[in-house]
Amino acid sequence: MIEQLKQQIERIKAQGATYVDARWYPFEESNQLVMLNGNLKNASASRESGVGIRVLYQGAWGFSASSDLGDLGALFDKALDNARVAAERVTFPIRLAEKDAVQATFSSPCEVNPFEVPLADKVAFLKEMDDKLKQEGVFLRFSRLNFIRKQIVFVDSEGSEIEKLITEVFAGLEVDGKDAQGMTHERKFTLGQQGKPTRGWESIDRQLFAQNAERIVRELKEMLVADDCPKEDRSVILLPGIMFLQTHETIGHALELDRILGYELAFAGGSFVTLDDFGKLRYGSPKLTARANATVPNSPGSFGFDDDGIPAKDTVLIDKGVLVGAITGRQMVEEANARARKPIFDGSGGANRATSFYRVPIERMTNINIDPGTDGTLDDIVARTEKGIVLDGERSWSIGSNREQFHFATDIGWLVDEGKVTRVVKNATYKGDTLKFWNSLSAVGDESTWELKFVDNCGKGQPNQVMQLGHGVPVCRFDNVRIGE
Amino acid sequence: MKERILETLRDLRAYALDRGYEIVLDYHEEDSYLMRFANSAISLNTNEHLIRLEITAFAGRKRASYELITDLDKINEMKQGVDVAAEMVQHAQPLEYDPTIPAFAASFADESAYDEDLAQLANAEKLAYFNRAVEGLETDDLQLSGIFSSGETIAAQSNTRSEHTQFWRASDAQVNAVLAHATLKWEVIAEQSAQCKADLDPEPLRRDLAYLLERYQTETAQQIPLGRYDIVFGSSAIADMLNFMNWIGFSGGSMKRGFSMLAEDKVGKKVFSDKITLVDDPDQIATFPFKRDFTGIERKPFPLFERGIFKGFVWFQDDADEFGARPTGHTVMHKSLALHGGEVDVASLQALVGMPRQKDLLYIPFLHYMNIVNPSKGVITASSRFGALLLKKDGSLVVPYNVRLTQSLLDIFSDKVAWLSRQTVACNTSMSYGARNPTAIRVPKFMCVEGLEISHSNSSY
Repeated sequence: MIEQLKQQIERIKAQGATYVDARWYPFEESNQLVMLNGNLKNASASRESGVGIRVLYQGAWGFSASSDLGDLGALFDKALDNARVAAERVTFPIRLAEKDAVQATFSSPCEVNPFEVPLADKVAFLKEMDDKLKQEGVFLRFSRLNFIRKQIVFVDSEGSEIEKLITEVFAGLEVDGKDAQGMTHERKFTLGQQGKPTRGWESIDRQLFAQNAERIVRELKEMLVADDCPKEDRSVILLPGIMFLQTHETIGHALELDRILGYELAFAGGSFVTLDDFGKLRYGSPKLTARANATVPNSPGSFGFDDDGIPAKDTVLIDKGVLVGAITGRQMVEEANARARKPIFDGSGGANRATSFYRVPIERMTNINIDPGTDGTLDDIVARTEKGIVLDGERSWSIGSNREQFHFATDIGWLVDEGKVTRVVKNATYKGDTLKFWNSLSAVGDESTWELKFVDNCGKGQPNQVMQLGHGVPVCRFDNVRIGE
Repeated sequence: MKERILETLRDLRAYALDRGYEIVLDYHEEDSYLMRFANSAISLNTNEHLIRLEITAFAGRKRASYELITDLDKINEMKQGVDVAAEMVQHAQPLEYDPTIPAFAASFADESAYDEDLAQLANAEKLAYFNRAVEGLETDDLQLSGIFSSGETIAAQSNTRSEHTQFWRASDAQVNAVLAHATLKWEVIAEQSAQCKADLDPEPLRRDLAYLLERYQTETAQQIPLGRYDIVFGSSAIADMLNFMNWIGFSGGSMKRGFSMLAEDKVGKKVFSDKITLVDDPDQIATFPFKRDFTGIERKPFPLFERGIFKGFVWFQDDADEFGARPTGHTVMHKSLALHGGEVDVASLQALVGMPRQKDLLYIPFLHYMNIVNPSKGVITASSRFGALLLKKDGSLVVPYNVRLTQSLLDIFSDKVAWLSRQTVACNTSMSYGARNPTAIRVPKFMCVEGLEISHSNSSY
C-alpha cells in the first residue's frame, strides 16, 4: 500500500503539484460505553479505514478522501482537480515552511490495549462505579468509558514516511441532583494523566475512581442545600477542573495561528491577537508562562509527529506574561512571516493535525500548559485571599468571536473570606475580558497543584473536526472578577 | 444505487436471521463537498464519500451496537460487523426496561427532498455563485470568508423483525458569505440554505452584504451601555435559540432527566407569548424532512407551542421505552422545526431599518457560541456577531461592538415578544460534525423582544 501511495504521489507531482501527501489509516477503532442510572445506554464500537490525499497546486490546496481504496488513482486525481479549482482564487499562494524528511515511528504509551480487554470487564467497572454513585440525593448518575486506537501512515512528496500507533483512554463520572427549587446541579470527575506514564486500560484505576465517586457525591449534596453564588466582584481561584478550560478557550484557541490569520472567520471566529503583538503584547501578569508542549509524556496532546510530518515540539507561547509564540503548522508560519514582513516564527510548531483520514489537517492545540508558579499550595493561596471564590468543574462556556471576552459557569464554588473557605455556593459563574483577566493573575500554585487534564471534544474547522488534546495547569488566582451573572 | 443499498441491507438481514441474531441496521451514505473561503481565497476544496453502517444487536434486554465505515463492495466486512455486534451484545448488561426493536409495517422510500442538480453541483458553479455574491465588494481591507457546503445524504434502515425497509435521500447546500475588515475586525454575513438548485441565488446575499458593508463603513462604531434593550433578532439568531430549545425544552427524555426548562405540569399551559407557534412540520421541504422516523412511525405536523401554549413533549423511542411514554415519531436525525411568522411585514434588513420606531432597537442577526448556563431555568449565553446594528429612535444608526446576552429562553419567548415578521426563511443549522445531517429551521426573518438585558459590552470589535 505504501508503495502504491508513493507512486501516486509521484504521478501527481509530475502533473504540476508542488506538494502531495497521503494519510492512510489502516484502522481506527473506538469503543464507547455509557451507563446512565444503571442502564448500559451505550455499548458501541466502530472501525474505519481509508486514506486522505492533500495536493498543493499553484498555491492552493485540494483534498479528497475515501474508505474505498479500490481506485487510488481516481482519489488522487480528485484531490488534484479540487486544488486546480481552488487555484482559480488565490490571494496568498500557499508555501510550506522547510522541514527535514523523516522516517520514523511513534507509539503512544500503553501497557494494556483496551481493545483486548473483554467487554464484560468494562461493563463490570461501570456497574461498580454506578453502585458507588447510587446514593440518596443523586438523581442521575453517569459513568463512561471511551477508547480510541488508530494506526496512521503518513507519506509525502518530500521523502517523509511516518507510522504512528495512538491509543487513547477517556473516562469519567458525573452525578446530578435537584435542589429544593427543582433546579438541576451536577458534579463531575474526569480521568486525566494523574501523573502516570501510560494510558492503556491500566489507567482505569478503580481506587482513584472510587475516591472521586465519593467526593463528587459529597460535593453535590453540599451544593443542593447551598445558596446561590452572589453577584459581585471577587478574586476567583480556579482549580484545574476549570482552569484547563480557561486556558483552552482564552489562550489555546486565541493563539491558533490560522485563527489569527483569519482562516476561521466563517465559523469559529478570529482572534484579538495580531501579528504585531508577538514579542510585545502583555497577555498576562508576569506570573504567566504558557506553552504548547507536545512532548509531555502520556497525553492526548502528545502524538510524536503532526500531520505535516513535523516532530513534536515544546513551544513557549507566553513568557512571563509577554506573548512570544503561537500554535502553528507549516503553511501558516510562512504566511504570517510574509505578511508581517519579518520572521516571527522559526519554522512550524508541529501542531497541524486532522481528526480522521477524511479531514484535512489544521492547527490544533497540543498540550497547552501553564507552568507551575511559586505561590504554594491551594491552602496557601486561599490563606492569602481576602475575598474570593474557589471554582471547579466546567458547566458551560461561551467566548466572544475574537476570544476577547468570555462567560463560564462552573459545577461548584466555595466562597473565601479573610483567608478561609466559608461555604459552598451553587450556580457559580464568572465572566471577563481576556487580557484584563489574565493580567489580573495574582497567584500561581506550585507543582503540587498542577494537573494534566485530558480533552476529548475540542471542535474546530469546517468540515468540523473533534480533536483530543491536553492541558497541564496549576491552581491560579485572578483578582476583581465579576461572578454570579 | 437505491436498489443496491436495499439489497445489501436485505442480504445482511438474511445473514443475521440465519444465525438467530436480532438486529437493526442503520445505513448512512454521504457525498460531501465543501469549498471554504478565507482571506478572499479558496482555502480548502474538499470532498468525502463515506458509507457508515451501524448494526445494533439485541438479546432480550441487552443492546449493543457496532459501526463501520465501509463500502457496498465489502459485504463480507459488513457481515463480520453483524457478527461483532451479535458477540458484543452477549456481554452487555440488561437494561432495566424493554428496548423496542422496530418492525416496519411496510416499505417506505422518500426522495422528495433530493435534487440531483444540487447534489452534483460542479466546482465551477459554486465558484461562480460566490464570485457573484461578493462582486465589487472585496477590497484589500474587506476580505471574503465563507463556505459552500453541498452534497447528498442517504439514510436507510432494516431490521430482523420485518422484511420491509426504509430509504431516504436528500440534497442540500449551506452557504455562508462573510466579509471581514482585516484590521478593524468587524464582520458581516449573508447566508442561504438550499434543498434544490433553484433555491440558490447569489443576488440576495450580495444585496445584504452590500447594505451591511455600507452601514459598517459609514456609521459610528461604539461600545453601547449595559442595560435593557428592545432587541430584534435576525433569522440565524432565532434558529440558534430554537436549536437550544430543542435540546433543553421539549424533549421528554431531557425533561425526565432534569435537563429541561419545562416540567410535565406545563403541558397545556401558556408558557410563551401567544405570538409563538412552533411546529415540528415534516411538510416543510426546506428542512430536509423525514416523513417516517427510524422506527417506522409516520411523521405528521406535531405542534409544540400553539399560541404560546405548550402542547407536549416529543419522545424518542429509547426515552419512551425507559420512561413508559408513547413514542411520537421523533427517532430521526433531525426535526423539521417551523416557527410561524407574525403579522408585521418586514422582508429585509433595509425594511427593518426603515420602520418607524418609538424606542431604540438593537438588531442582533447572529448569536455566537451559545451555551447553556442553567438548563432547568433555560438560561443561555451568547455574544452578538456578524452585523449587529443599534437602530436609534431618531432614525439614525450606530454600529455597536459585540455584546453578550445571558438570558432565559423562557424570558426571551415570553410576553416580551413584541412582534414577529410575517416573512419566514429556512435557516440552515447543519453542523459538519460526524456524519452529514442536513438540517434547517424555518423561522421569521425577524423577531422583536422588549426589555432584554445586555450583560457585557465589548470595548472594541
